[in-house]
Amino acid sequence: MTKTLALLMAATALTAAVGFPAWSSMRIPAAVGHEIQSGDQADRSQQNLPLTRVSDDDDDRGFFVSNRWLRWGDDDDDDHGHRSASSGRYADDDHGRRHGHDDDDDDDCYGRNCGAANPAPAGSVAPPSNGLFGDGAAPKVQVN
Amino acid sequence: MKSLLSALVLTTALTLPGLAMARPVTLTTKLTNYGGDGAYLAFYVTDSKGAYVGSLWMAGGKSKYYQHLIDWYRATGGNTAQVNGITGASVGAGRTLNVTLDLADALFDAGYTLHIDAAVENMRESPNEISVPLTQGGAGKATSGRRYIQSFTYKM
Repeated sequence: MTKTLALLMAATALTAAVGFPAWSSMRIPAAVGHEIQSGDQADRSQQNLPLTRVSDDDDDRGFFVSNRWLRWGDDDDDDHGHRSASSGRYADDDHGRRHGHDDDDDDDCYGRNCGAANPAPAGSVAPPSNGLFGDGAAPKVQVN
Repeated sequence: MKSLLSALVLTTALTLPGLAMARPVTLTTKLTNYGGDGAYLAFYVTDSKGAYVGSLWMAGGKSKYYQHLIDWYRATGGNTAQVNGITGASVGAGRTLNVTLDLADALFDAGYTLHIDAAVENMRESPNEISVPLTQGGAGKATSGRRYIQSFTYKM
C-alpha cells in the first residue's frame, strides 16, 4: 500500500514538473503580446488593417526608379536603382557606372535623351545642310 | 550652235565656283591606349564668337550616350538630326580614325574652330578635348588631346 502511494506521488510530481511549464508557455501575458485569437476574431481585425504594398523583389527600396513610380509587377529584374554618376539615369545592374552602359546592351534608357532615334549612319543619307559641307563626295571613314 | 555654246559656257561658269567652294578634308584622330571601351567622339564647329555652327562627324551610333559628349550635347540638345549622315562607329583605344569630308572652303581662315568632345564608358567625360582653329596654315599640324586623344590632324 505504501509502495503504491509512493508511486502515485512520484507520477504526480513528474507530471506536474513537465506539464506546468508546457501549459505556461501556451499563455502569453498581455503585457508582452497579443493572445492568440480565434479564427473569427482574426478575420474581423484584418478588415481594419491598412492595405500593405508587397513586392517579391525586396530590393527596390526607394521605389522611385527611372523617374517613375514602380507599378505592380513592374520590376522583377534586381535593379538596385543606382544612378549613373553623370547621366542621372538608372540602369540595370550597372551600379552607378560613369558612362551608363548596360552589360546587356538592351537599349533601355531613362535619361534626357531617352526615346530619341539613333542618327542615320554615314552614307545612308546626305550630311546635314549646316553650311559646312559641299555638295560633293559622301564622307569616307576608315579606322586603323 | 551659237546658243548651245552659250549654254555650255554658262553652265560651266555656274558649276566651277561650286566645285571650287568645297574640298576634301581628312580628319585624323589617334586615340591613346586608355584601356577602356570604344570612345564616342563628337566633331563640331563654332564660329568666332564661340557659337555652335554645326557638326562634322559623330563617332558612336547610340544617341542615348550622346549626353556624355557634354559640350556638343549642350549646344545641340542631343538633336540627332545634327549628325544624320555623318555618324560612324565608336573608336577603340589605340586606334586611329580617318574621316574624309567634303568641306566648304569658307570654313578656313574665317574664325571657325573645330572641337572634339570625347566620352568612354566607365571613364570620365572629356568635353572640348581638342580645340583647333580651322586655317589653311594649320593643316597637317598635330594637336594633342588631354585624355583620350593622342593627336589630331586635319589635311586638305
